[in-house]
Amino acid sequence: MTIIEWEEEYSVGIPAVDHEHKELIKLINETYEKMLRRQDAGEGVEEFLGEIYARISAHFALEEHVMQEKHYDHFEDHKADHERLLDDIRDIMDEYESRRHFSREELAERLRTWFSDHFKTRDARLHGHLD
Amino acid sequence: MQPGAGRAALRPAGKLTWEQVLFDATQRSGRKAFEWIEAVFSDIFGQRWNPFFHLGALSYFFFWIITVSGLYLYAFFRTGTSVAYESVEYLTNEQWYLGGIMRSLHRYASDAFVVTITLHLLREFFIGRFRSFRWFSWLSGVPLLWLTFIAGIGGYWLVWDKLAQYIAVSTAEWLDWLPFFKEPMARNFLDQETLSDRFFSLLSFIHIAVPLFLLLGMWIHIQRITRAKTNPPKGLAIGTFTALMVLSLVWPAVSQGPANLDVAAATVGLDWFYLNVYPLLDIWSPGAVWALLAGITLVLAFLPLLPPLFKEPAAVVDLGNCNGCGRCFEDCPFGAVVMQDRTDGLPFAQEAVVDPDLCAGCGICTGACPTATPFRRATALVPGIDMPALTVREIRDKTLQAAGALQGNDRVIVYGCRHGAEIDKLQGSGVAVLTLPCIAALPPSFLDFVIVRNHADGVFLTGCQECDCYYRLGIEWMEQRIAGKRDPYLRKKVPRERIDRYWAGPVGLGRLKPRLAAFRARLRELEPRQKATGPDTGIAQPSMRQGGGS
Repeated sequence: MTIIEWEEEYSVGIPAVDHEHKELIKLINETYEKMLRRQDAGEGVEEFLGEIYARISAHFALEEHVMQEKHYDHFEDHKADHERLLDDIRDIMDEYESRRHFSREELAERLRTWFSDHFKTRDARLHGHLD
Repeated sequence: MQPGAGRAALRPAGKLTWEQVLFDATQRSGRKAFEWIEAVFSDIFGQRWNPFFHLGALSYFFFWIITVSGLYLYAFFRTGTSVAYESVEYLTNEQWYLGGIMRSLHRYASDAFVVTITLHLLREFFIGRFRSFRWFSWLSGVPLLWLTFIAGIGGYWLVWDKLAQYIAVSTAEWLDWLPFFKEPMARNFLDQETLSDRFFSLLSFIHIAVPLFLLLGMWIHIQRITRAKTNPPKGLAIGTFTALMVLSLVWPAVSQGPANLDVAAATVGLDWFYLNVYPLLDIWSPGAVWALLAGITLVLAFLPLLPPLFKEPAAVVDLGNCNGCGRCFEDCPFGAVVMQDRTDGLPFAQEAVVDPDLCAGCGICTGACPTATPFRRATALVPGIDMPALTVREIRDKTLQAAGALQGNDRVIVYGCRHGAEIDKLQGSGVAVLTLPCIAALPPSFLDFVIVRNHADGVFLTGCQECDCYYRLGIEWMEQRIAGKRDPYLRKKVPRERIDRYWAGPVGLGRLKPRLAAFRARLRELEPRQKATGPDTGIAQPSMRQGGGS
């Protein structure tokens, strides 16, 4: 079972960014599967979230670097969105920490929403605006 | 990393020779003297405007004042045996309101230049900032001393008053000792008749060319550091300029009567900033003075090679965790990190590469790395760039270990740097301390981790004094990261009332203590929270936000 699937429409046309998007999706799906195989769904979720948080932070850092290098006109907006999205992930982490009964399905749903939000709004605009 | 290591004991263990003991004692007492006087200046000017923290930038500032006033003087100056003195007199007396002020500014800014570069040299030496990764900046500063004095002495010569005459005769005899000149230069100054106007043209050319070389040298001098500060803070610049102006008006620079080579110069008033070597020429032989200056120059040039040659291990890049985002490159104060083409076949354009010779081991790069977050699990916590002397994983482990023993509702973790106050003395039941190479080696997400995960009630940051970071930019970067003005941002939701900082400097422990006590008192006033339940399984504060991706 996968939380999220890579789709060609996600591509922003920059190999490094696309690569990281794919890697992130892979990381999320793999770790989610690992989580499913365990008896206690709670175990390993923190590792899962912490690692995703770090990867996403790095991914955003790279995206921002590329945007700045190419003088992307919506940089400020996109950057603010990154900070908000990182905040959201941290919120999910904190909520998980404080609510042990957080269900796998709920977690999966929130991550799915989070990802498609990021892909479909901001990153979609990147495509075609970076040359 | 032992807390406090590096302040006095940056050397491998071993038997000390008496030279090393003497060297250390000199350095330590010099540093103490500077610390004492700097504390006084910090009280008067505040840390940000403390002139001792801007000696290099002030030197640049004086250089520009000298340049502008010099250009003005040059427009009126006439090169010639008889007219040189008159043209300077005209500027000083008839045109005192502009030309005279320009002359005085030219003089006093030049004197101040010598003061700031000398203090700059002494200070960097006493603090120990002259070897290891800093050898280039030190060595490239040595020829600047010569250029400064050549330019300054030439300037006194141009005025062609009695002092100039004294300098001319002494310098000519002094230079004639060197085997470079076919015809003794002193012959020029035997009497008024033989002194040619062309010699004056040469002098004024030297007085322009040498400062140009000096400027080139000053530019080379700062090439190994990034974002070199060549402008003092505005307030300090205005204050300094005002002081020079007041001095120029109250006590204008004047000549000491026209030179007359037919009469030997009698007693003259010396400018001790530039002409300090001349009285020595009256006592010693020219050769002895040359030997002394050559000796001083050689000692200065070879200082970086003196033991101990201990160097912090350089930062290490882990390509598996580096996507080439360039944040370490942006923040490195010494240009030790460069971004190069990717070598591992991954589709990233670049990767960070560390030049170990340039790396100071400050860890500011690690503090900037987005993968250096304690929220990652300990087993996998290897950031894209890390410090072997104190890895991010070790910082995380030590933080948790220290936090675990804390008691009360005013638990504080104090992060400090090894060039700041001795924070070990603050340790207690409610206070844990952790010494880092530089405060900016701490990734901001550690503050999030400690506070939001409730490993402590608050985080207190300290280190060098503001504007005086041993690694140049650490405090500035840390402040900007907390303020959300520099990557990586500290998350907005981390309650700022649970963060405090005081840039105490090496001798500021006494002032730091009440700040910390006041911070803990404020923490006790805040809404109480539950104690963490174990090594990072702490109970976080429930988040306000609901819903994921908005």
